[in-house]
Amino acid sequence: MITVSLTINKKEYTCEIDPQTTLLELLREHLGLTGTKRGCEIGECGACTVIMDGLTVNSCLVPAFQADGSDITTIEGIASNGKLHPVQEAFLEYDAVHCGFCTPGMVLSAVNLLDNNPQPSQEDIRRALAGNLCRCTGYQQIFDAVQAASKKMKSKR
Amino acid sequence: MNYLRPKNLTELTRTLSDASAATQFVAGGTDVLVESRQPYFSKPQTLIDLSRVDELKSISETNGLIRIGAMATHSEIIAQPLIQRQAPLLAQACAEIGSQQIRNRGTLGGNICNASPCADTVPPLLALDAQVEVLNEQGLRRVAMQEFFVKPYQTVLQKNEVLTAVYFPPLPDGYGSAFYKLGRRKALAISRINMAAVLKTNHHGIIEEVRLAPGSVFPVWKRVAAAERFLTGKKITDQNFMQAGQITAQEMIKISGRRWSTPYKEPVVAALVKRVLLMAAGLEEQ
Amino acid sequence: MSSFNIIGKREPRVDALGKVTGAAKYADDYNLPHQLHGAVKYAEYPHAEILSIDTSEAEKVPGVEAVLTYKDVPGANHFGLIPNIRILADDHTRYLGDVVAVVAAVDRRTAQKAADLIKVKYRELLAVFDPEEALEENAPVIHEGGNEIVHHKVRKGDVAAGFEEADFIIEKTFKTQPIEHAYLEPEAALVYPDEHDGFTVIGCMQNFYTSHKVIAAALGLPLNKVQIIQSTMGGSFGGKDEAATLVAVRAALLAQKTGRPVKMLSTREDSIRQSYKRHAYKLYYKWGCKKDGTIAAMEIKAVADGGAYASMSPFVTWRSVVQATGPYYCPNVKTDVYAAYTNNNFTGAMRGFGSPQVNFAIESMMDELAERVGVSPLQIRLRNAFEDGAETATGQKLTHRVSLKEVLIKAAEASDFERKWREYRSEANRTKTFPKGIGLSCAYRGVSLGAEGVDAASAVVYVQPDGSVTVSAGIIDMGQGARTVMAQIVAEVLGIPLQRIHFLEPDSGRVADSGPTVASRGTIMGGGAAKIAAENVREIMKHTAAVVYSVSPAHLGFRDGKVWDDNGKSSRPLCTFEELTAACYARGKPLFASGVRHVAETNWDEETGQGNAYFTFVYGANVAEVQVDSATGQTELLNFVSVHDVGRAINKATVEGQIYGGVAMGAGYGMMEEFIQENGEAKTINFDEYYILTAMDVPKMKAVIVENPDEHGPFGAKSVGEPAVEMAAPAVTNAIYNATGRRVQNLPANLEEVRLGQKLRRNVQRASVACKIEPK
Repeated sequence: MITVSLTINKKEYTCEIDPQTTLLELLREHLGLTGTKRGCEIGECGACTVIMDGLTVNSCLVPAFQADGSDITTIEGIASNGKLHPVQEAFLEYDAVHCGFCTPGMVLSAVNLLDNNPQPSQEDIRRALAGNLCRCTGYQQIFDAVQAASKKMKSKR
Repeated sequence: MNYLRPKNLTELTRTLSDASAATQFVAGGTDVLVESRQPYFSKPQTLIDLSRVDELKSISETNGLIRIGAMATHSEIIAQPLIQRQAPLLAQACAEIGSQQIRNRGTLGGNICNASPCADTVPPLLALDAQVEVLNEQGLRRVAMQEFFVKPYQTVLQKNEVLTAVYFPPLPDGYGSAFYKLGRRKALAISRINMAAVLKTNHHGIIEEVRLAPGSVFPVWKRVAAAERFLTGKKITDQNFMQAGQITAQEMIKISGRRWSTPYKEPVVAALVKRVLLMAAGLEEQ
Repeated sequence: MSSFNIIGKREPRVDALGKVTGAAKYADDYNLPHQLHGAVKYAEYPHAEILSIDTSEAEKVPGVEAVLTYKDVPGANHFGLIPNIRILADDHTRYLGDVVAVVAAVDRRTAQKAADLIKVKYRELLAVFDPEEALEENAPVIHEGGNEIVHHKVRKGDVAAGFEEADFIIEKTFKTQPIEHAYLEPEAALVYPDEHDGFTVIGCMQNFYTSHKVIAAALGLPLNKVQIIQSTMGGSFGGKDEAATLVAVRAALLAQKTGRPVKMLSTREDSIRQSYKRHAYKLYYKWGCKKDGTIAAMEIKAVADGGAYASMSPFVTWRSVVQATGPYYCPNVKTDVYAAYTNNNFTGAMRGFGSPQVNFAIESMMDELAERVGVSPLQIRLRNAFEDGAETATGQKLTHRVSLKEVLIKAAEASDFERKWREYRSEANRTKTFPKGIGLSCAYRGVSLGAEGVDAASAVVYVQPDGSVTVSAGIIDMGQGARTVMAQIVAEVLGIPLQRIHFLEPDSGRVADSGPTVASRGTIMGGGAAKIAAENVREIMKHTAAVVYSVSPAHLGFRDGKVWDDNGKSSRPLCTFEELTAACYARGKPLFASGVRHVAETNWDEETGQGNAYFTFVYGANVAEVQVDSATGQTELLNFVSVHDVGRAINKATVEGQIYGGVAMGAGYGMMEEFIQENGEAKTINFDEYYILTAMDVPKMKAVIVENPDEHGPFGAKSVGEPAVEMAAPAVTNAIYNATGRRVQNLPANLEEVRLGQKLRRNVQRASVACKIEPK
C-alpha cells in the first residue's frame, strides 16, 4: 500500500491505496465521487475525464500515485455554491444532455477549453472535444452549447 | 508490489541496479495501463514512476542540438515554440495523437519505447536524424534512432536501462518538412500508415537532400534509402514523387512479402509518399 | 401551433440537471455495505459440448463467497422470445460470449482470479460462422430443430410476369456488417435481498418488464417478490435488453446464493464480447424496371446472421420483410427474409431493427435505376414514391398523410441537391484527388411494434395535495428524452408549468407492464398513455370544479396554472390549479389516475405476407455531402441534411437531438463501424478498435422537422428515434458514388472498400471448421 495526498474540488484527501489503483478507481471507489464515469478504461471514450493541474486527463489512465500532490477538479466541483457553471447552463439550454453518461467528461473538456481559449472556433471546439465520445447527440447540440457558453462568459467578463 | 519514485537522475540510476524483467517503468501511463488489461500482461513486482525526475521533462537547445526529455508530453512538445520553428513535423505528429487528454499525459519517451510500428512520433524523429539517450548504471549513451528498434514492440533497451532524452539537429533554414497520418477517423485513431519527410531543394527546384520515413510500412523502423537516392539530384515533380512512392512500396513488398493488406498498402503507400513530399515542398496536391 | 402552451416548445429536459452536475446515478454508481462483486468464466470454444466443470480451485480462493454453474440455477435457466438463451451455459457453448460459471467475491480482482481457475472440459464441435452456410444441408446444427430461426415471406402480384414486362433488369448483391450499440455506459446491476424474502434489482435494463420476468423465473420466485428499479441509463439503442438482463440475472443468482448484495458489472471488453449486435445481412436484389423509371417487379432475398441465439431475430427480420421494397410502388413482389443460427455473437434489437440493412440495398438500387434511366436520384424517387392512399407491398392501403414527396423535396432544397449532384458527377470533379459527392436517400417506417407484437403502454399521473405532480410510466428514458416528452404532455393537459412535474424512476411494482421501450414507440405509446392518465385526472378535477363553481364541466379550460371558465366568448379564471387541487382533496377526491394506451388494429398473414403491418408510418429523407480522398479511400463527411415527418414535435430540441444523433450513428454505420469476428472470436472489443464517429468526424448537420399530425399519436406525434438512423448510410454511399462513379455494395465504406471495392481480412473466415480459441 502507498499513500497519496491530493486536492479534489478544493478539498484535501489522503488515501492508502494499492499501487495498481487508477485515479478513476480512487475517485469512484475510494472517495465515492461517482460523477466521473467508467466507460472503456483505456482512454478512448473520455467519460472519466477530469482536470488535473489545469489539464484534462483520462482518469482511467492516470496511475493514482502520479496524482499524488496534484489538484483535481471533477464534475462535482464545477458548480460553485449551488450555482451552475455557464457551460452546465448552456448544456441544459441547448439540449446537449441526452443519456448523460458522456456529459461529466464533456463538460470538463469544454470548461477547460474555455479557460484556455475563451473564444474558440468551431474547429477548436471539435478538436477539444474529440477525446470525449458521445453516442446519443451526434455532438451538434454540444458544439452549440459550448459556443453559447463562450458568448455568455465573454459578456460577463 | 514495490513502488519507487526517483526524484532525479542519480536516484533513478540507483533504482536501475535492481531492475529486472518484473520491473515496470511508468511514464505517462497511457500505454502501460492499457496493456495491463490484456490477458497476457504479467503483473510487475516493481513499479518505477518516472514522473518526478525533473531532468526527463525539459525541452532545450544546446550545442546545436535540440534535446527533448523523455517525459515531455505531446502537449508540451506541440506548445514549444522551439519545436514549432525548428522541427514542425514533430509538433504536427504530436498534434495528431489520440485526443487532448491523451496528449496531456502521453510522453515522447513512452511513445518511442512502446515501439509500436505505427507510433506517430517515430517517423518525424527518423526524418530529423534523431538519436536517443539511454541511461544505465554505467551512465548515459546515445543510440541512433534507426538502431533503437529490434522488432515491433521491442527496442534495444535492456531491463535495467531507461530512455532519458531524444536529440536532433534543428532543421536549417530552407528545409521543408511534413508529417501525414492516415487513420480510420480524424481523432483517437491508430495510424493505418503515417509518413514523415524532410526536403531541401535549391532554387532551381532540384532536390539536394531528402529524408523519407514511413510508419506501418516496414517491420522495423527505417528510412527509405532507395527512394532518397532516387530523388537526390532530381527535380520536384509529381512524377518523381510518385516514383519515389513506388520505390517505397516495392521496398515494403521486398521485405515483408505480399500479405493480406498488400493490395491496399501498395498503391496507398506510394500515393502517401508523393503526398508527404509535396507537402514538404510546400506544393498543393491537385 | 399557437393553441399549445408547452407542446412544441424547446423545453429543457426534466432529467438533465443531475446529469450536468454528476449527481445522476447510473447502475454502477449504486453501492451497498458488504456488497460482493461478480465475475464470469467465459466459454473457450465457439461451439462445444460441455463435459464437466470443475470449480474446486476457484472455491478455495480466499474471499470467494459463491461459484455457480447452471446446476445452481433454482428456476429457469433459459429465456428469450424463443427461449434458448442460457443464463449459464449448460450442455453446450454456442459462442465465445457464453458464460459457463459466475463467481462472487469480496472484490472484483479476487472474483476474476477465481473465475480464471475454473476448469471446463469440452468436446469440440464443428462451428459455422456464415448464415448461408449454416442453412446448408450438412451444416453443424447449433440448436435442435435446425439452424433456420425464421423465414418471412411477402407475395404480391406475379413477379415472373413483372420481369417479363420489364425493359431491363437490375440485379445486385449487398452486404451489411454487424455493429455494436456502443452505449457509453457498460451494463451493470446491483441486486440485494430485501426484508421480505424477495430481491431488489437496480440496473440499466432497457426492457425491464422482460428482465423482471426472467429474473423471477430464474430465482424461482413469483413476480411480486422481485422488484426492478431502473437506474438512470447511459444509452441503450436497443442493446440493453437481453444483454443487460443477463448481467442482472447473474447478479441476482449470486445474491440469492450468498444472501448478500452483489454488484455485477461489465467492463467494455465484457460488454462487447457478451452482448448481441445488429444483424449482418446478405441481400440479393433483383428489380425489373421500365424505361420510364417505374418498377414492374422486385424479387428480394435476404439472409440475416442471427448468431448463437434467436433473441429478436424473428421480429427484426419481420420488419425487414415488410419494408424490403421501400416506399415505392411496385405491383409484383416476392420477398424472402431468413435468419439463421451461427456461432457468432447473437444478434438482436438495435435502433433501426431490420431497416438499416434493407434501406442500404433499396436506396443503392434506386440510385442505380436513376443512373440507368438517366434522371437524377431525386427525380427517380419522386417518380416512384408512395402518395396518399398508396398500397404497400403487403397490401396495406395507407390512410394517413403520406409525406414522402414533401420530405424528399425539402431535403433536396435544403441541400441544393440537384445542382451539386450535377456538378459533382462531372469528369472535372471525379478526376480530382479529392472529389466531392452528394447522395440522397429516403425511407418509410412502420411505427411501433406492428402486427407481430402485443402493443399497449401504461402511465400513472398523481396530482399531490399541494398541486405538485408525479408521473410514472412504463416507457423508459435511455437518453432519448422520453421523460421530458411525457412530462410535457401531462403539463399541456393539466395546464401547468413543466417544472411542477416530477418524473419517478421506473419501478416494476408501480406501473403495469408496458412492453418494451423499442420500435420508436416511446412517444406514441408512452406519451399516449401519459395523455390519457392526465386526462383522467383532469376529469376528476373538472367535476369538482363544476360543483364548486357551478359551471359546466364542458367549458372548463386548464392553462397557465389556472382553471378557466371558457363559456361563450369570454374567458374568466375561476381559481388556481392548487386551489382546485385542494378543493378536490377536501371533497375526498384523490387525484390519482392511470392511463392505458392501446393501438389500432393490425393484422398479418404469415403465408402470403399480406396485411396491415403497422397502424401508421413515418417518412424521412437524408442528404449527405462528402469529400473522398481517391488516393486512400478516406471519406470525409462535409454536410448532412436530415428531414423527418414526426407527426408533431412535442419538443423540437429533443427531436433535433434524435435526428443529429441518428445521423452520426447511421453515417458511422455507412463508413466506419464494424464488429469484427474471426472464427467467432470478437476482435473489436473496446473503443480503440471499435470506432464510432468523434467530434471531429461528424458533418455539419441540419435537421428539418416536418409536421403532419397523425390521429394515432398524442397531439398528432409519431416517432423519430429509429427513422433518424435508418437511412443515413445509403445517403453516404450514394454520395461516394456521386464523387467516384463506383458503388459501395459492402458496408462499411471504409478505406479499403472505397479505394479497392473490397474488404481485406487478416484471416479468411472459414465456415464449418473446428477451431480452438486459445484460452485467455
